[in-house]
Amino acid sequence: MTYTVGIDVGGTFTDLLLLETEGTAKIPHKTSTTPANPADGVMTGLRDLAEIVGRTPEEFFGEIDLIVHGTTVATNAVLTGSGARTGLVTTEGFRDILEMRRGIRSRKHLYDNKYVAPAPLATRDLRAVVTERIDVDGKVVTALDAASLDEAIARLRAADVEAVALCFMHSYRNDEHEVIAKQAIREQLPEVFLSVSSEVLPQVRLYPRVSTTVMNAYLGPVVERYMRNLVTQLSEGAFAGTLMIMQSNGGIAKPSSVAELPASIAMSGPAAGPVAGLAYVAARGLDDCTVVDMGGTSFDASLVKDGEVQVTREGEINRHMISLPTTHVHTIGAGGGSIGWIDDGGLLRMGPQSAGADPGPAAYGRGGTLPTTTDADVVLGYIDPDYFLGGRMRLRADLAEEAIRTHVAEPLGLSVVEAAAGMYEMVNLAMASGTKNVSVEAGYDPREFPMVVAGGAGPVHSGMIAHELDIPFVFIPKMSSVICAAGMLMADLRHDFVRGFNAMLSTLDLGVARTLIDEMAAEGAALLDDEGSDPATREVVVSADLRYVGQHHEIILSFGAEEFLGEGDGKARVAAAFHRRHEELFGFANPDADVEILSLRVTAVGRRPGFELGGAGAGGAGLAEALKGRRPVYLRTERAKVEVPIYDGDRLPVDVVVEGPCVVEEPQTTIVVPEFFDIVLDRSGSYVMYRKGRSLADLDRLVAAEGSR
Amino acid sequence: MTADLNPILTSVIASRIKAVGERMGTVVERSARSPLLVEGRDFSLGIYDVDGRLLEQTEYIPILGYAAAPAMQYIARKFKGKVAEGDAILHNDTYTGGNQASDWKVTKPVFHDGEHFAWVVISAHQADVGGAVPGSYNPYARDLWQEALRLTAVKVHEAGEVREDVWDLVFGNVRLDIVAEDVKAMIGACTVGERELRTVVDKYGLDTFRQVTESILDSTEAMARQLIRSIPNGSYEAEWICHDDGFDHDAEMLIKVRIQVEDEHLHFDFTGTGPQTPGYVNAPLAVTLSSVMITFFMLAEADIPHNDAIMRCIDVTVPEGTLLNCVYPAASGFGNHLSDQICAVIMLALGEALPSRVTAGWNPLYGAVINGWNDRLQRPFVDILMNGLKGGGGGTEGADGYDHIGLIASGGALGAQDPEMFEHNNPVFLERFEYTRDSGGAGQWRGGLGVETVIRFTNDGVQASIFGDGDTPETAAPGLNGGRSGSPNRIEIAYPDGTTKVADLKDLVSDLPAGTVYRQLAGGGGGYGDPLARPAELVAREVRYGYVSVGSARDHYGVVVDPESLELDPAATAACRSGVPAGAGSSG
Repeated sequence: MTYTVGIDVGGTFTDLLLLETEGTAKIPHKTSTTPANPADGVMTGLRDLAEIVGRTPEEFFGEIDLIVHGTTVATNAVLTGSGARTGLVTTEGFRDILEMRRGIRSRKHLYDNKYVAPAPLATRDLRAVVTERIDVDGKVVTALDAASLDEAIARLRAADVEAVALCFMHSYRNDEHEVIAKQAIREQLPEVFLSVSSEVLPQVRLYPRVSTTVMNAYLGPVVERYMRNLVTQLSEGAFAGTLMIMQSNGGIAKPSSVAELPASIAMSGPAAGPVAGLAYVAARGLDDCTVVDMGGTSFDASLVKDGEVQVTREGEINRHMISLPTTHVHTIGAGGGSIGWIDDGGLLRMGPQSAGADPGPAAYGRGGTLPTTTDADVVLGYIDPDYFLGGRMRLRADLAEEAIRTHVAEPLGLSVVEAAAGMYEMVNLAMASGTKNVSVEAGYDPREFPMVVAGGAGPVHSGMIAHELDIPFVFIPKMSSVICAAGMLMADLRHDFVRGFNAMLSTLDLGVARTLIDEMAAEGAALLDDEGSDPATREVVVSADLRYVGQHHEIILSFGAEEFLGEGDGKARVAAAFHRRHEELFGFANPDADVEILSLRVTAVGRRPGFELGGAGAGGAGLAEALKGRRPVYLRTERAKVEVPIYDGDRLPVDVVVEGPCVVEEPQTTIVVPEFFDIVLDRSGSYVMYRKGRSLADLDRLVAAEGSR
Repeated sequence: MTADLNPILTSVIASRIKAVGERMGTVVERSARSPLLVEGRDFSLGIYDVDGRLLEQTEYIPILGYAAAPAMQYIARKFKGKVAEGDAILHNDTYTGGNQASDWKVTKPVFHDGEHFAWVVISAHQADVGGAVPGSYNPYARDLWQEALRLTAVKVHEAGEVREDVWDLVFGNVRLDIVAEDVKAMIGACTVGERELRTVVDKYGLDTFRQVTESILDSTEAMARQLIRSIPNGSYEAEWICHDDGFDHDAEMLIKVRIQVEDEHLHFDFTGTGPQTPGYVNAPLAVTLSSVMITFFMLAEADIPHNDAIMRCIDVTVPEGTLLNCVYPAASGFGNHLSDQICAVIMLALGEALPSRVTAGWNPLYGAVINGWNDRLQRPFVDILMNGLKGGGGGTEGADGYDHIGLIASGGALGAQDPEMFEHNNPVFLERFEYTRDSGGAGQWRGGLGVETVIRFTNDGVQASIFGDGDTPETAAPGLNGGRSGSPNRIEIAYPDGTTKVADLKDLVSDLPAGTVYRQLAGGGGGYGDPLARPAELVAREVRYGYVSVGSARDHYGVVVDPESLELDPAATAACRSGVPAGAGSSG
């Protein structure tokens, strides 16, 4: 027997999912994250799995074919300021672009004069300038002055930097000065990690480019150390399989290519969620979905459209911008720990303050006295205090009630249940609004996207979020609590490339475009070769950053290389697609106007086989067998707690409709099915909750409609 | 229903209405063309009831927030009973509630079952609005017609259809095509807002919606009263001098405020403020009202909804015919920027009552709009030099002033152009764009840093309209409670023939040849508190960063740093700091 393991190292827990390569068993497991050295937690988790499958650690490690690993190590290094001591070499006159952040204090702080921005990742004493200049058309205006370069390097050497970022004005157009400087730095500072802007992100806009290049340098030594440590520990444990790393773009890559571009895993953590979400709806033939993940302090929403995870080039960690393609995750400060409070105007608010994991909600009995979302869930009967996390943690309903009575119910003159219902509704509204934003921003109607729910607390709230947004179908994977680990095992190999220039689409030289595209595709092919990807499974997606003249945001439009470069008028085809997309996004288009093109991009994908999601198990014989009992839960239409059936998810039969309102309890989570929905356990290993009056057949019709589009 | 109106329902509907404004903002931000809207985020959204009362606003830039309120009251009156579903109205007139002729408002009425119950509006700064000077900052204007096309509220859409006659009239009087595109984006945002707001009312019914909005306003009023109670009762006064009215470069104009705090009520009285000027340095009343609100929100230090209820506890008196409430038909193109001075004078007045909340002075705006022809892209261009004009914010207890933030009335929302995009979009070569050493006023919390921007024009015939204040040490951002002033503003123009010119505070410079170098120093913010109390290590670190010079560290902060190693000399610092007589660090 051989195994495949997905490992998602989060802030609190390390989630693992074990698959039998030649079998059907899927074993989810959770262990505590070890922040000082996350590799330790990974090793602990793997040894736990060995025990679960009844093998010695040595036997087990030898039997693992593939580990796919996502990690927050890079994100945390940026958040805690524990990255490398990083220098920046840049063009004279532009030393402070990184720190200025375009002079924006951010919309969240319009009136906050006490706000202090986080320090830049390369402080000013470590930013050295070089006399050189290339203009907007790529022409050398001032030749690189070697003496100033040597002086800059000497300055960084004296400052003892571990990493250097190199970024000159307009290097995306002409990299010759960066090439010269790169050589000099390599020679004079051979030990440092070097990050060069024309390699990391050769596209127009100095601030995002310098910021991304600096972050890449800042993370280089950290990521390298972490990888080395992990690989060493794994091989000491007799692991001889393949290790792959989850990147922010939703694809995986070999440790060696991640070490080259460490900023590519800056947001590795949440990137696998949408990949998994897609797999669950794909099992039903769909290729669109919204994926929501509710944790203790935050709620993440992301979008998958036409089988593609939506990515953004405007990512940010603690106000440090990163412009590499990053899975677009909209995060809001609402979760199980969000605290309910009454503002000075007498209105109820939820969050953004959170009780976190410690002391946590009042119901945890760890000294928390402020009422949280989880406390409201307990008071409303949604969470059984004796069956939280499958009974592994007892909750104190009395403390939850007390917190809500004191801080919400009494000040508002309401009953405890009314107050809890208000808290539940307010937090759901906030999450619904966040969910809606991801589709509206991308120009779509949220109702057309089935929702996939992740995270332990998500299924308690997903029904009412879907009700609010009028979303008819909600998928709740049985493995929703380890969904990112599952997503990692499903992710494709993926490498992104960009070449910036500027031209009008109408006068663009297609020969030049073809050369750039071929160049990028060849780079991608080389990486995929190295990763052992079968050429038959590969795809090359070309995209371009397009806008109307005078606009300031580009639309990134994807197409096949042949659509652009092939027979007939490829430019006209691309222009037409741009006008259509503009209309979709913004409600208007100018079909007669010329289109400006600022970059060409190539994404090289090596598709990997997914795995059989099934594993709902044999299930029970009938509903009666799965019925655990009844308990009162709050129903909005009744405005009161009403007795509803409680089912044991592990004993539910597949393909049998369970009518709402009801509650389905799984070891890792509780699914609340409001009175507006029914639910069915699907063979694909997912519950599908759907609006009353609809049916799974409607879902199939939706698929047919998509197919005919 | 009112009797048992559930506070939860109120909370729920309040958060839904808030989401409507956010959604409108997303549409504009994503689809507009003008750098002002997209990069500068110079716009704001609002939801008003049918009578023009502000229910909720989402501002991307503070000055445009409450500034739309007077115009909406006018529009609500003028069009009462005369609008239909699908209408869209355009307005900019400064004598019917507008704040600046460049800030256009697009509003649409919102209906439920045939009943008009609300307005959604977006206010946004346009790249050009006609008048004598592209970009519409005309320092020589003597009346409003020389500044801009005047729009006293016209329907540009009727029942969902464009009124082409009106549309062509309006945009036939504007130089740049992108303005029409931006107005389309604004109408699109209003359509989205209209749809979303109608969904809320469909869900709860109009009666409930009305009752709930009343209780939202009551709730906000209660919060505002609570906040005002935290300000000690009393009468607080201050004065501020503005400079250069466009005709007389030596003109001095007085702004005077007396703030009366009485339990839960605030009264701002600008009586004593100087008369309106003959040129464009005049503020319409909307600007003054909006500036009062901005300062209130900054001093409140609390998350409070922005709606009409706040005005129930705040009165503002501004005599007609003064600098801050000019009368027809005065020009007022610069008026929006008097908000800097209005905010400053209020902070100054309340310094005694709220010492830990006020900030030292912010760098007063001094900027330029450039326009001309771009050979490279074969089209005309207009750009506000946001990069050049963003100076430092004022220090405050507990925080240094924000670096390179720009005018106080923007709250740090205005983004500077990206250097590469700036060269891509305009016929310019950027020689330098960096923080300026010693620009931030010394203080326990120093003023924010200013920047130096050096631009070479690459096309003949560039015109620059220059406007602002604060170009001398005396008029730069003042320090507070012992802090020093920030550095002053300056704009110099070096012609290719070797001649140079230092720009006036209000200036119009035309026909600049290619090769002309425009150099601008945006000054720093004022420092807060005694510089001798700033940790010596921190001062030494900023010397190593190059934000503070060795000389300034010694002279202003009493911190001795070795000029070679740039290391702190603790012994010399202790001696220096004890040797500096008390009070020597006071405001300069």
